[in-house]
Amino acid sequence: MFGAELTPWGQEYFVVPWTNALAAISTSLVTLFDANVVAAGKVIQSTASGFAVSIEAGCNGVEATIVLVAAMLAFPASWKNKLVGLAAGIVAVQGLNVIRVISLFYIGQWSAQVFEWAHLYVWQALIMLDVLIVWLVWVRMLPRTADGDGRVPPAAAPVSA
Amino acid sequence: MPAAPGLVPRFVIKVLAWLPVAFAVWYFTAPVLLWPVKLVLEAVCHIGFRDLVRGVEQSGAALTFATSLSPGEAAGAGRVTVDIDGLLYSYGLPLLAALVLAAREPGWPRKLALGYAVLVPVIAWGVMASFLKSVAIASPPLVASQTGFSAAQREVIAFAYQFGTLILPTVAPAVAWVVMHRRLLERLRERSGPG
Repeated sequence: MFGAELTPWGQEYFVVPWTNALAAISTSLVTLFDANVVAAGKVIQSTASGFAVSIEAGCNGVEATIVLVAAMLAFPASWKNKLVGLAAGIVAVQGLNVIRVISLFYIGQWSAQVFEWAHLYVWQALIMLDVLIVWLVWVRMLPRTADGDGRVPPAAAPVSA
Repeated sequence: MPAAPGLVPRFVIKVLAWLPVAFAVWYFTAPVLLWPVKLVLEAVCHIGFRDLVRGVEQSGAALTFATSLSPGEAAGAGRVTVDIDGLLYSYGLPLLAALVLAAREPGWPRKLALGYAVLVPVIAWGVMASFLKSVAIASPPLVASQTGFSAAQREVIAFAYQFGTLILPTVAPAVAWVVMHRRLLERLRERSGPG
């Protein structure tokens, strides 16, 4: 998945639209309380101060989502549970990522040093923590079966004559 | 053994409480924590890039590669050196520490040490790939051409850099923590349902 993301096709048809959508969603939320903010592609800019942030690789949540998808697909569970987990998990990870983008936008206008720390270290760790927590919650919610995983045990399957 | 209610929320709160402490310790002890990384880099450069790298120096959290590359055609132009910020590739250390300390499973000091040992080569990967990207891809053509890397090798370097920057620093501590805390995961699985 990570390799596919890096290909020109993956960038053009998935990563760029994803990142632009993230910028648009973040901006639409920000404009609820700050009208002086616009989005242009992956850039979010304050029309009042001129400050702008560009959402780059590593900050668009694509890699975090890939990790979550890989972790859920690799864990033994039914496809139904995997799909439900993926849908809820991606929303949870991207939801926090929107908060990351918005917070960095305002932190950057306040302090360049704090922005550097929050951008490079703290939020990176928090997003991965979010992925881990989502995965742990999903694992905890999986139905317990006799063979120890989320799959339907063979004994429960319909028997044909 | 029944799992305590609210196990995950309590764990999250503990992780969030430990994270600032872990980040502070990591930041101020980075020169010491990154010293083994420097040793790994020296070994890698000695084995695989002897013609390219003359030595690796450490100053605080910065790792400096002294190369055999010339920055220009003028005589006495010196040699290219590349500084890589080790902090950029090692922030998984405080994340792992916070996770281990929040879980507080039996033998947690050993888990901390083991996790650190696992992450050292991961950090070295990121720093090394960043250095190779700098000289082979991001440097001026006059410098990049001296490295002798083929187009295919540059592609491998670019992928290694992206993987070492975007995936490994955060995934490695999470995976290391999961592998070292299987009993905790089993306790999580012992009761189905949210919480």
